[in-house]
Amino acid sequence: MTAKLRQFFVKIGNGCRQWLAHIGDWFKALPARFAVRWHTFCDFLKNANGKVAASCLVMGLGQLLYHQWAKGLIFLAVQAAMVLFFVFVGAKGLVGLFTLGTVEGNAWYGIEGDNSVIMLLLGILSVIALVLYAVVYTANIRDVYRTQSAYDCLKTPPTFRKELSSLLDRNFYKVALALPILGVCVFCVLPIIFMILIAFTNYGGTVVPPRLIDWVGLDNFGKILTLSDFAPTFFRIFGWNILWAVMSTFINYFAGLGLALLLNRKCVKGKVFWRLFPILAYAVPGFITLIGFKFMFSYGGPINYYITQSGGSAVGFLDIDAKWSSRLIGLGVNAWLCIPSSMLLATGILSNLNTDLYEAARVDGAGNWKQFTKITLPYVLFATMPVLISQFIGNFNNFGIFYFLRGGLYLDGYFLASDTDLLINWLYNMSIDNNYYSIGAAISIVIFIVTSVISLTVYVLSPSYRQEDTYQ
Amino acid sequence: MKKTIAALSVHIVVVIVLICCVGLLGGTSGGEGQEKFTGELERNVTLRILENDTAIKQGYLKELLDAFNEQYAQYGIRAVDANMDQYTDLANDGPYGYGPDVLYQANDALMKYVDNKHIMPLPVEQLDCYNSVDEQSWQAYTRQVDDQSYVFGVPVNIQGPLLYYRKDLLPDNWQQSWDDDGDGVCDIVQYWTDMYRYSKQLQQGNLLTDSGAKRFGYMRSFMEPYFSVGYLYSYGGYTFGDNNTNPRDIGHSKGDSAKGAWVMRQLASVMDKRCIDDTVTVTAYSALASGEYFATVTTPDVYTTFVTEMKNAGYSDEFIEENLVTADMPKLPVSGDLEDESQGFVESRMMGGIQGYAISSYTKYPNAALAFVDFATSYRLIMRRNQLLGIVPARTDVAAEVGGLSEIICNNLSQGNIVVMPSISEVAQIWTPLQTFFQDLAKDPFRPDDSMDFKYDTLDKIQQRLKEVDEQIYSAIFTLA
Repeated sequence: MTAKLRQFFVKIGNGCRQWLAHIGDWFKALPARFAVRWHTFCDFLKNANGKVAASCLVMGLGQLLYHQWAKGLIFLAVQAAMVLFFVFVGAKGLVGLFTLGTVEGNAWYGIEGDNSVIMLLLGILSVIALVLYAVVYTANIRDVYRTQSAYDCLKTPPTFRKELSSLLDRNFYKVALALPILGVCVFCVLPIIFMILIAFTNYGGTVVPPRLIDWVGLDNFGKILTLSDFAPTFFRIFGWNILWAVMSTFINYFAGLGLALLLNRKCVKGKVFWRLFPILAYAVPGFITLIGFKFMFSYGGPINYYITQSGGSAVGFLDIDAKWSSRLIGLGVNAWLCIPSSMLLATGILSNLNTDLYEAARVDGAGNWKQFTKITLPYVLFATMPVLISQFIGNFNNFGIFYFLRGGLYLDGYFLASDTDLLINWLYNMSIDNNYYSIGAAISIVIFIVTSVISLTVYVLSPSYRQEDTYQ
Repeated sequence: MKKTIAALSVHIVVVIVLICCVGLLGGTSGGEGQEKFTGELERNVTLRILENDTAIKQGYLKELLDAFNEQYAQYGIRAVDANMDQYTDLANDGPYGYGPDVLYQANDALMKYVDNKHIMPLPVEQLDCYNSVDEQSWQAYTRQVDDQSYVFGVPVNIQGPLLYYRKDLLPDNWQQSWDDDGDGVCDIVQYWTDMYRYSKQLQQGNLLTDSGAKRFGYMRSFMEPYFSVGYLYSYGGYTFGDNNTNPRDIGHSKGDSAKGAWVMRQLASVMDKRCIDDTVTVTAYSALASGEYFATVTTPDVYTTFVTEMKNAGYSDEFIEENLVTADMPKLPVSGDLEDESQGFVESRMMGGIQGYAISSYTKYPNAALAFVDFATSYRLIMRRNQLLGIVPARTDVAAEVGGLSEIICNNLSQGNIVVMPSISEVAQIWTPLQTFFQDLAKDPFRPDDSMDFKYDTLDKIQQRLKEVDEQIYSAIFTLA
């Protein structure tokens, strides 16, 4: 047992070392890469002619001087659009990102004032626009420099039509990815950056628009760690959260796999019929199932009805004293909701498993358990590791289970939380019920860091990463 | 090379200067405020009115809008249903132009908008209802802002708990055995001590209804602070000091409030464990109709639900009218012990609320909106509201005219037996700590069933726990503020 444990930790150590080595290599190569870039830039400065300089001054001017009218006008138009954007929105947004507003609104007198939240959003949007502007500006210089190089080598630069057609051929990926990248920037990157920045402000409580929000640095993280009410709650909930995520992922995964293996056996008759039941449980919306379970385990629910009818005393399965029974019920209800999806996943993967492997194992004298641990499990784990990690993250952030089963309790020793709340429930209590948005954002960052570290570590250690070519 | 470097530098400098100049010069200007209620009606405008769902479903809102639109047609003022969720959040919608012009919500919901000036202070003395509304009701909508006192809403409807009971389920001989004061009203519905004694009798007698369900006397979930915190108030407890305006003074543990909690614990012991969670809240209507419960406490607006359930149980309209009775809350013993009447009785004080109208600060037509509020709170419309929706009017003249429950509740409010929910935003922090405590307390008599010791078997322990609840609320309000 000790040897196995040691082996396990050695494995973790080796995995982490390999991963860190990759990162180290990347950083080691940085100076060389930078030197090459610097050299190219110096060459550019040395060789660039007046037309290139014109494009450096005003986007598209160099192209126009080379009689590349369409391209030149497009770059010029982009420059004009950017100038207009920064004059009307962007510049104010960038300045607002630092100040978060200077004039407080007063709706009684129709004074609109600054809305710090909108200013923060506009500020981020302006930074993204500024980065995009820098990218287009660089592309403009590269383009005109390429044209100059072509003329210097007595070659004819490609026509605008030719360059356009290359966007549908050699450079098609740029066209295909442009819109998704823009979408990701606006709908994904922007909210994430917004949430991260909120963690460094005093947004929340009474400080909500029209009141002005301020930057407070790392104060919110300091509060999480140092406030006497806050830190113990954080660590208590964090400990339970880890236990919950590990336990629920383990139960759901292996129970799903077990069910799939059971229903995969030749001796089981009416497989379709049996598979229907878990799928039915899966088909019912989760929150309805949770409300149903809450009622079932309540004092007036059917379980207590039968207990009292048979002469017993009603049991408070989910009441104030029921820490561990509530936690176990939570695990059970979560299993009820999640096992069907694990079962379906495992069923699909098992159908692709080569049965000759089992035949060969049987010939070699391997029993059922050996076949499971040496063939089935490695194969299924290899194929489902990313899903397993996403299930772990899903369980770590499983908001619904305890919100519906046992919400509305603040217990002794917990600040705005109960002994079954997960970090995500605590986050909700603070940010939605109590308006402490900035603290909520700080906790979100902590959750993000924890789940990322665990997920990355598990993934790097998994066969899916280490032996990617094994099954290809 | 120099040309390129110069061009690059000029471009970068121009971009930075442009951003700095435009960014710094283009800031928002403060502007001068102007008085909005000038008395001059805006013409040819449409007002969006947010009412509650019951008023919409029962057709009251349509009547109100039609009547208003007819009267103000000459000014081109039209009021329409805002067609929004009744709990819509003005703070989120108003600044962006999506909120209603006039809102009808409870005082705690409306007054939270005062913090950031989302609703306007009103010149209420100009309104028709001003002298007809009790001072207590106006207090619920009064707040100090910038060292000046303002009124932000116009009270319409008083909410307060009432006792609902089945007269036909009173003991047959109640005139002889349960009317010690000889006032012709059964003591069971007048004194909590008798209600407790009667409930205990039913519990010990193990009596069953015709359908075989166990019969209970009083039954009510203790989980909801709105209905439970009144027991603490009755013995000197309070939520916030300075007439519910000072969140730094939290007083659920003040006075002899532990006695109120002791009363609750005793009442829980004559119910069953269902009083710990909220399952009895939803079944109370049918359970009262089936005779399983003799009495419960809830708000006046659900009277029709009880009637519907009794009709479903096969009772005639005449029977229901005679036997489904609503009454004032029973009196509590001064001793705080439901088995000791020797020290006399005190009135029950319960938490209540006042629903009313407020005007959004974002309305473009404040004078027209004020005219609407004035119209909707006039004697005629409040009377109509009472007839159609069964509300308890905040206008004392209408309450006196209607009589019955409306008068009882109005009197309770003016005598201080209905304590209006605090109208400050910090009230949001009291519910969960109190709910947790009340569940804990309601469970206490049943703890030996689960092989656990009592947690609250003395007043001192209750007092200590109440102090902790107050501290919990205090830290919820101020720790992260």
